[in-house]
Amino acid sequence: MFRLQGSKVLAVDMTGDTVKAKNGSMVAYDGEMSFKKLSGGGEGLRGMVTRRLTGEQMAVMEVKGHGTCWFADRASEINLVGLQGDKLYVESSNLLATDAGLRTGTTFTGLRGASQGNGLFTTTVEGHGQAAIMSDGPAVALRVAPQYPLIVDPGAYIAHQGDVRQSFQSGVTFRTFLGEGGGEAFQIRFEGDGLVYVQPSERNTIAGDL
Amino acid sequence: MSAHGGMYGTPGGPVVYDPMTLPVDDNVNAYTFCVELKSGEWFLQKGKMIAYYGAIEFNGIGHGRLDRLVRTSFHSPLHASDWVVASGSGKMLLADRAFDVNSYDLDDGNLTIRAGNLLAFQPSLALKQSIVPGFLTLIGTGKFVAASNGPVVFMEPPIRVDPQALVGWADCPSPCHHYDHGYLTGVLGGLRAMTGLGGVSGEEHQFEFVGAGTVLLQSTETLMGEAATGVVPSEPGVPGGGGTGAFGHGPQPSGPPRLPGQLGDLQRRFGL
Repeated sequence: MFRLQGSKVLAVDMTGDTVKAKNGSMVAYDGEMSFKKLSGGGEGLRGMVTRRLTGEQMAVMEVKGHGTCWFADRASEINLVGLQGDKLYVESSNLLATDAGLRTGTTFTGLRGASQGNGLFTTTVEGHGQAAIMSDGPAVALRVAPQYPLIVDPGAYIAHQGDVRQSFQSGVTFRTFLGEGGGEAFQIRFEGDGLVYVQPSERNTIAGDL
Repeated sequence: MSAHGGMYGTPGGPVVYDPMTLPVDDNVNAYTFCVELKSGEWFLQKGKMIAYYGAIEFNGIGHGRLDRLVRTSFHSPLHASDWVVASGSGKMLLADRAFDVNSYDLDDGNLTIRAGNLLAFQPSLALKQSIVPGFLTLIGTGKFVAASNGPVVFMEPPIRVDPQALVGWADCPSPCHHYDHGYLTGVLGGLRAMTGLGGVSGEEHQFEFVGAGTVLLQSTETLMGEAATGVVPSEPGVPGGGGTGAFGHGPQPSGPPRLPGQLGDLQRRFGL
């Protein structure tokens, strides 16, 4: 059972079950715990090779035991995400912990990843259970529905879930080259039905200064 | 699935917003601000929009169609390249490196703010360079959004504030420098200044505000990034304008510069 203790510490109450978490993110525990490093994100040999090839590397440990374990990473804000059979797309660097029941994998993101400077691949989390994602400042969850698509700055995007199509939208015009760009040259457009998580801060992207 | 959270809402997770539930011209949380555009315009600093619903266009300042708007609101053309006009209809979210953001209403008023802290403002406000370098003055009626490192505290003059904590001030006269030099007086003070032992607290320099008004302070001493305020005309009599010397006296030649710790000060103190 995941719960937040403050906004920057994740507490997980365990009764013999397991949790996958970012390697080295345990800050304290109470009770009996065992920590096991999982190579290749616990996705088997194929997953390990995929992760190595795609650069979506994730150092993950498996925590098992009875009691409470607390996780935190660089005082990042932590957000809980519940999955009911749907898929969460998140950068491996923003993923803190997942229920053992959730499957993780790697998927191709195309231009969105490239525009964020995060590479062309992202991590997926699938199944039923809870995941904890990290953001710089508390994340805002925005709903996307067919009647209202959402446009997001690539630098502020952290994750999305549900049945959402994303397309890359460029605001580059001849004015950009005249030094009169609107400052938002690259945007991701989300359409469909789901949730998009944004953080109140922008990573530096290649397009950041356009 | 929770009843209130909708399809993907999570108990304990972030609140889920959609275009209807996002606040109108108000904070979503301490670090994110939502602006509603109804075929209107807002000025914002480049790159501070994080997401939007609706049809909103972002244009750099100087673009033809908006020139009229720019002329009536900007009085420092060189400033313009840092600013973007958002126009259209919809709701957009603004944020700045996870700093605290807050909105302020001016009612036929004036407020001077550190250039790096100003995030966005309504075109009904006029943005001008302050004669205090690095600060901007907003005049008129309207709303603006400012970022600060930690929550903003409002104080009333007379007050002396730490230079790094100052965000801005409204209605009162521009501040002056204040130095606590009491610790340097006397024989003991001279020895202290000469040896650097004891004494120096690092808080000897403050800005002093007097008169009626409000002073805005941030609750840390970490400055926000600087933003260019534009260049002032190079004329004599314009602070920071670089025009010196032609009239008046200019800086007084006073021999080699003297540091407080030098023996010269001690000698003068003893009347030698």
